[in-house]
Amino acid sequence: MSGRRVFALFRRVVEEIRRDRPSLALLFIAPILVTGLVTFILRESQTPIVHAVVVDRAGPAGAAVEGAIGDALQSQGSTVAQAPDESAARSEIEDGHASIAIVLPADFGSAGPRMITVITNGLDPAGEADQITSVQKALLAVTGELAGVSLPTISHTTIYGVPSKDPITTFAPAIVGFFAYFFVYLLTGVSFLRERTGGTLERLLATPVSRGEIVAGYTLGFGLFAMIQVALLMVWVLGTVHVPAMGPLPGFAVGLGVAMAGSPVVAFLVVVLLAVGAVSLGIFLSTFARTELQVIQFIPLVLVPQFLLSGVLFPVSTLPSVLKPLVPLMPLNYAVDGLRQVFIRGAGLDAGVLQVDVVVLAAIAALFAAIASLTIRREVA
Amino acid sequence: MMPAAVPDEEGGAKRPPAIRAVGLQKVFGSVRAVDGMDFELAPGRIYGLLGPNGSGKTTLIRLLTGMTRSTKGTAEVLGVTMPSRANLSRIGYMTQSDGIYPALTVAENAQFFGAMYGVTARDAWMDAVALVDLADRHASVAGTLSGGMRRRLSLACALIHRPEVLFLDEPTVGIDPLLRVQFWAHFRALVDTGTTIVVSSHVMDEADRCDELLFVRSGKVIARGTGRELRARAGTDDLEQAFLHYGGDGVTQ
Repeated sequence: MSGRRVFALFRRVVEEIRRDRPSLALLFIAPILVTGLVTFILRESQTPIVHAVVVDRAGPAGAAVEGAIGDALQSQGSTVAQAPDESAARSEIEDGHASIAIVLPADFGSAGPRMITVITNGLDPAGEADQITSVQKALLAVTGELAGVSLPTISHTTIYGVPSKDPITTFAPAIVGFFAYFFVYLLTGVSFLRERTGGTLERLLATPVSRGEIVAGYTLGFGLFAMIQVALLMVWVLGTVHVPAMGPLPGFAVGLGVAMAGSPVVAFLVVVLLAVGAVSLGIFLSTFARTELQVIQFIPLVLVPQFLLSGVLFPVSTLPSVLKPLVPLMPLNYAVDGLRQVFIRGAGLDAGVLQVDVVVLAAIAALFAAIASLTIRREVA
Repeated sequence: MMPAAVPDEEGGAKRPPAIRAVGLQKVFGSVRAVDGMDFELAPGRIYGLLGPNGSGKTTLIRLLTGMTRSTKGTAEVLGVTMPSRANLSRIGYMTQSDGIYPALTVAENAQFFGAMYGVTARDAWMDAVALVDLADRHASVAGTLSGGMRRRLSLACALIHRPEVLFLDEPTVGIDPLLRVQFWAHFRALVDTGTTIVVSSHVMDEADRCDELLFVRSGKVIARGTGRELRARAGTDDLEQAFLHYGGDGVTQ
């Protein structure tokens, strides 16, 4: 081993990276930015504002508790209303007037193990878990005040889906959306960069092809692979194939087997719309990259914030209020919401909430296609 | 091949120029890549843009093909002011880099660029491939070809739509002498069918294959004429010396 050669290699690597300003900036600034954002979200995340409806079936025995819970919750800026019965409370949640229902059972006052039922929507499991925690805290405060009353257990039901201990139910819709977006961006960004740096774009632009035609052709081409990718991903996520035990081999299952309330076709449509937007995003960002490494370096700037602010990991409802205005700007947000509507609620294309997501995703895809075609430089009128 | 192959007839009746530059200028920051060029090029001839690297040849070709917009002045090809997307179907442009898709085969590259020019007939792109002697390699993946073959494929891709005006940016760089002779034979054959060709080069020994030369230096056309004329005016029989003569004296046209 020649020390001189190793040193020459070392020096060349250092010099090369030192002269690649964008890489340098991203190498040092991106980790600070990303860790800062994550820390900020974790530290400054808000106590969720609970809009509770209380159904008191315990009569006078529950009234004291009900009042105390109300006081405890209201002190956090939450609202507490009453509902005559459970079905009224459920429709309050479905209409979006309430975020959680607290049902005090008829035998609430009696001795023995007592149980309070809380009902949530079920579409945003992580955010709803935070709400339940708030209610639990309020209960804890209440039972502290009412000496001798033991803490009741909480039973959680949801309007859509089943509150599950399987953590993937929460994440599956979001993750399907995110990774489709991620890989389509990466594939298009690198391919289009190759077109720019390989001299074929110059060649292409010397033909009568229009920029719109280029974007459309790229969208169709990468759209095809995105569709195959998403289809495979959906089969993998939703399906389970049980392989029986054979001889000494134990039986096992292939596929994640995530429960899906709605139509896989509708979910597929939502992801494909998102992916089409990612094609244009890749073309657009390749303008600012000179090397494939730089295409990858846009990930912490463009994809990580979307990941953090679209409810994939952290529920949107508890994001720091400074960051909340950014949420509607994230294309991924609409896909995650849409996919949760389909996966958990079973929404079809006739559901208004899903229509909004689909229309916004289509509009974003169209907007980015227009921007992308403008960034394919050719000075042709 | 003989010098000044085409006799100095201008085609009798005055034909409109194939290419026209009027006060053409392109400025990048503080660099005047093309610094006021005025010329008219009659159709059906081979014009050589001769000058050292960085003299503005590529920028001039990019202005004439509409790949970039002039800072001042106009560039016209076949009577149409560039940039014009519609006019590109009558123009062929072989870029300095090969500009072919290495993962596609020879035939697929030709077919693709044919489609971009709106030419879908198989004969058209197979003819172009045959013209550059790649017919027997039509199924080979472009990335596996030798440098010279890639250059030939690149030329073929600029010919499929039978352009009336053909711009060739350093077409013979990195090409062996034998292939160079073949290339010039192709160019001559194209001109005989009425095509106008503009070839840029910094290799002086290619100059005599052109019907007319434009010496380019520092973004300006410093001299123009047949190789013989330019040498005679400079009082030398070496084109390189002639170039220095015009460059040194700052003579324009």
